[in-house]
Formats: sequence, C-alpha cells, structure tokens
Amino acid sequence: MSNGDLFGPGPAKRPDRRSLVRGAGGWALESATSGSIPVSAVNALAREALESGLPPLWVHGEITGWKRYPSGHCYFTLRDKRAQLRGVMFRLEAQRLPADPREGMEVRVMGTVTLYEQKGDFQFVARELEATQDGGLWKLAFERLRAKLDAEGLLRPERKRPLPRYPTSVGIVTSPVGAALHDILRVIRLRAPWTRVLVAPARVQGDGAGLDIARAIHRLARHGEAQVVIVGRGGGAVEDLWAFNDEVVARAIAACPVPVISAVGHEVDITIADLVADWRAPTPSAAAERAVPDGTAVERELNALIDRARSAIRRSATTRRERRDRAQAALLTAATRLIDRRRDRLMRAAHRLNALSPLAALGRGFAVPLDADLRVLRTMAAFQREQRFTLRVLDGSVPCVARPDEKAS
Amino acid sequence: MSGSSGEPEGLEARIARIEAIVARLEGDRLELDDALALFEEGVRHAREAERVLRETEMRIDRLVTEADGSITVERIPEPPE
Repeated sequence: MSNGDLFGPGPAKRPDRRSLVRGAGGWALESATSGSIPVSAVNALAREALESGLPPLWVHGEITGWKRYPSGHCYFTLRDKRAQLRGVMFRLEAQRLPADPREGMEVRVMGTVTLYEQKGDFQFVARELEATQDGGLWKLAFERLRAKLDAEGLLRPERKRPLPRYPTSVGIVTSPVGAALHDILRVIRLRAPWTRVLVAPARVQGDGAGLDIARAIHRLARHGEAQVVIVGRGGGAVEDLWAFNDEVVARAIAACPVPVISAVGHEVDITIADLVADWRAPTPSAAAERAVPDGTAVERELNALIDRARSAIRRSATTRRERRDRAQAALLTAATRLIDRRRDRLMRAAHRLNALSPLAALGRGFAVPLDADLRVLRTMAAFQREQRFTLRVLDGSVPCVARPDEKAS
Repeated sequence: MSGSSGEPEGLEARIARIEAIVARLEGDRLELDDALALFEEGVRHAREAERVLRETEMRIDRLVTEADGSITVERIPEPPE
C-alpha cells in the first residue's frame, strides 16, 4: 500500500487518481465514477496514513481530564504549553495501571497516533503510561491505599499482635517454586525441626497474584492450625512486588486470626502488606527466624526455668528452717525470762522470810539453846543438871553441858 | 497464655505454665507441700516440652482448595532441599 502518496506532493502521482483510490479499498470504483470519495474513506485513509507514518512513540506531557469509564476504557488529554493531544487507553492496558493518574500529573505515555474514524478525532492510543513525578503511579497507588487503610485504623501500631514465642505449626503463603519457600524451610529445619509447616501456595506476581495470595491466607485461616503465618516472596522489581500492595492482600492479612509476618524480600520498598502485617521481616529467611525459636535456646531456657524453680524451693525450705530456729530461740528466751522472773520472786520471798526468821537474831550475836528435840530452852527451869544441849549460833551449833556448880542465881 | 490449673497443651502453653509456676515459687509464700507439687508439675511440663523439641522430622503439608471449596492437606514427603 502506498497511502503516503495521497499526501505526498509528487506531481507525477496527481493525474493518476484512479489507481490511487482503487488501491485504498472497496469503495474505489464508486468513488472513481463520482470523482470524489466519501467521508469514511478519507478517515480510513487518514488513519492508515497516521498509523503507518508514525511509529509507536513515547510522548510526555501533563495529563488532564482522566476518566475511567465503566467499560474499563480510559480517556484523557495530554498537553504541554502549546498543544494538546486526546488519548485513550483501552481496558486491557488500563487495568494494569496500579492507579489512575492525578489531574495535572506529568506522565510519559507510549502508544500510537491514530484517527478515530467514526468521529474523525485525532487521538493517541496509549499502551503504557508512567507518571514521571512523585515516584510514579505505583507510589501514587501505594499512597492512596495506605491513606485509606490508615483511615480505617488498620495500620495502627496497637493493632499489631505479639507473635507466639514457641509455635509448633507455621503457615507459609508464597510461591511453591520460589527461593523464598526453600529459604524458609531451611531455617525452620535448622532451628525448630519439630515444627509442622503448612504451605498454602500462591502465585506472587502477575495478574491476579494479589487475589491468589489473599485466598491462600484465607485457606490457612480456615484450616486453623497455623499459629503464625509468613506471607512473602524473594526480592524483585517494584512491579513484581505489586501483588503485596494489593488491597485484597492487606485485608486478608488484617483479617487473619493469627499473627502474620510479611517477608517481601525488598529492603528498600516497603509494601502495604508490610504495613498491615504484625511483623515485617526483611527477607523470607529472617521471617522464619522470627517465626520459630531456636531449639537449643529453648532447651537452655527450659533448664534455666527449672533451675530457678529448684532454687526457689530450696530457698523457701531454708527460710522455713530459719523461721523454725528463730521461733525456737524466741521460745527459749521467753521461757528463760519467765524462769528468771520466778527466781527473782523466790529470792525476794526468801529474803523476806529470812528477815523474819529468828535465825536473823543470831547474826546480831544472839545464840539459841536447843535440846535434843530442838526445843528452845528459854528459862533456867528448862535446864537439868548436866543437861546436854546445843547452842545454835550464826554459822552452826555448839554442843554444851549445863554445870550446876556454876549455876548463877 | 495458660495460667490456670488446667493441663496446658502445646509447647507455647507448657512453657507459659512453667514460667507461671516459677513466678509463684519465687513470689508467693507457699506451703512446702504446695511448692513441691508445683515444682513437680513444672518439671513434668519441661520434660514434655523437651520431648517435643527432640522431634527432628519436620512435617510439611500443602493446603489445597478443591473445586467444591473444601481444603485438602497433602503431605509433602521429601521437602525440597
């Protein structure tokens, strides 16, 4: 085809109108007779000329009037200071956009210039669209979803649930063929080989990956045995991680009845899944390390606990013995004090008794004569001749005999 | 967390119970009989926990959703190494 000729100036071609129109389509004969061509023919020719004359282009400009119709097709205008270009992005391409561009956003669009024949509109059919400011459309979509989830309170730190310390079953949502699964299994086998691992396979990139991931999380939740869930993949380009920025994934994580560890394997780009998850691990291996305890460490902890229990018992037994000893000592002291008090009283009584005793007089130099029956010999008449008696003095008794010749009158 | 006197199941619950026992032994003034009973319970849990830890055969299952929406569990016999 040589549609270019229609617009080309070449004078040699001009008289040969008939051959030109014939070459362009089925209307050729009809138009040849009337000497003119119908509108639709012009538009068809113009369209062909445009499409073949201009290769697919990247066009940059500011976007305005972006509108997404229920059909899924999107219409917009690209402009710079001096001109504007109307554009369309059809459903198939438009649904791959992470977000609709904002009004006035600087964009680069790849596509072809064409003519919409029915209306005679000159337009640009876009196949790809990238925002060249604010980090692009991915970033824009991310920020929009983040703001939405934040407004719902799903990103609040107090929503984060503590991870179980000693889980015996771990759920994993990732690609069944990726390196992430391999890494996670290796770490779990190394640290906690007693663990039961429940793998819910999911595609982690490409169309529908987000939904696949969300379904896998639901599957683990319904099964109900996993005590903690790791959701992740190995690293990748930002576009490859997009499934983890999908709203359905965010909501599945938030709705998961057990804590979720995200492991998207991208140190730089944080994903929505990371924000909603209860714990964000930088890599799948790190997620596994966080998920399960190290067996030898657990054994050490157990031993330490039992040691503490043992010494608590020992301590309380010691305390008990000490208390008993103290009680005994106190009892002894009390008893002794009681006895001492009694002894004091006894001493005082004895003194008083002593003071009243006739023996006290002996101390003052008196002596008492007593007969063999210990009766006191008080008068002269009590003495017989040669009578034996004892004289009781302060410190003892002196045996005596009464002599008549020296008997005083 | 199981702090009750009910028999805890699973590693998590057992270790939590042991910790609760240690806290009671260290904190409360207990009768010697009670203390010894608690201690024995703790040792029993520790032994059970250690039995779990000695399990070295990692079990890997795959959860698959069937067409009717039910979930089936497939054992993965040889873990990919």
